[in-house]
Amino acid sequence: MSTLTLLYDPECGLCRRVQGWLAEQPKLIELRMIPIKTDSARRRYPRLNHEMTSEDLTAISDRGEVYFGPKAWLMVLWTLTKYREWSYRLAAPELLPTTRRVVSLVSQHRYQISRVATSISR
Amino acid sequence: MNIEIVTYLLYLGITIALTIWVAQTLHKNGRIFLVDVFHGNEPLADSVNHLLVVGFYLINLGFVSLALKLGYDISTPKEGIEALSVKVGTVMLVLGGMHFFNLLLFSRMRRRATIRNAPPPVSPDAFTPIEEV
Repeated sequence: MSTLTLLYDPECGLCRRVQGWLAEQPKLIELRMIPIKTDSARRRYPRLNHEMTSEDLTAISDRGEVYFGPKAWLMVLWTLTKYREWSYRLAAPELLPTTRRVVSLVSQHRYQISRVATSISR
Repeated sequence: MNIEIVTYLLYLGITIALTIWVAQTLHKNGRIFLVDVFHGNEPLADSVNHLLVVGFYLINLGFVSLALKLGYDISTPKEGIEALSVKVGTVMLVLGGMHFFNLLLFSRMRRRATIRNAPPPVSPDAFTPIEEV
């Protein structure tokens, strides 16, 4: 795998902030970001269920492997030089259920979190 | 030859032999690690291995010669053996510490090299065809 494409929600402030942070991180694998439900996303992945991508982060490798939700976040960690080891730790059977729960919780409340974050920084 | 000279010579003989033995063990068994770290680049692995062993010899022989001085007189064989035992014991502990430090270096280098090629932490949920535009 040499690139991982992320389908992210451009309307969520948290996602944009994470995107900015990701852009600065040293990477072992190139990350590409495409906003969800756009023409370019639909053109590139014609057979993908694009309704699903608005629920949680979707990561797709250059070989067409689709990772959804918590798995997509683990894949993002895996591409980063400094956090690859953490991706294995968080994906270990003992921690995976917790990882799933935390990621789902954050994803479901991402608009609220973004609102709180922007009101604090103002 | 008096007892003091015998003690010193025995000390040097034992500690230098020990240093050579540990260094050769390190040299022989560390090579496999290094070849793996450098993805089969054997000349580079051999070079790094040799450099590590030279550093190991310098530090240990330096310590052996610094630790030679006894600081008190020996008059009986019993005292000689006791002094020898203390000195050789100290050198062995330092050698052991150095050896484990080298092992730590090897395993760190290896982990750093293997993580670059490590597979993804999770299996994919699905597959989708990609249309390159």
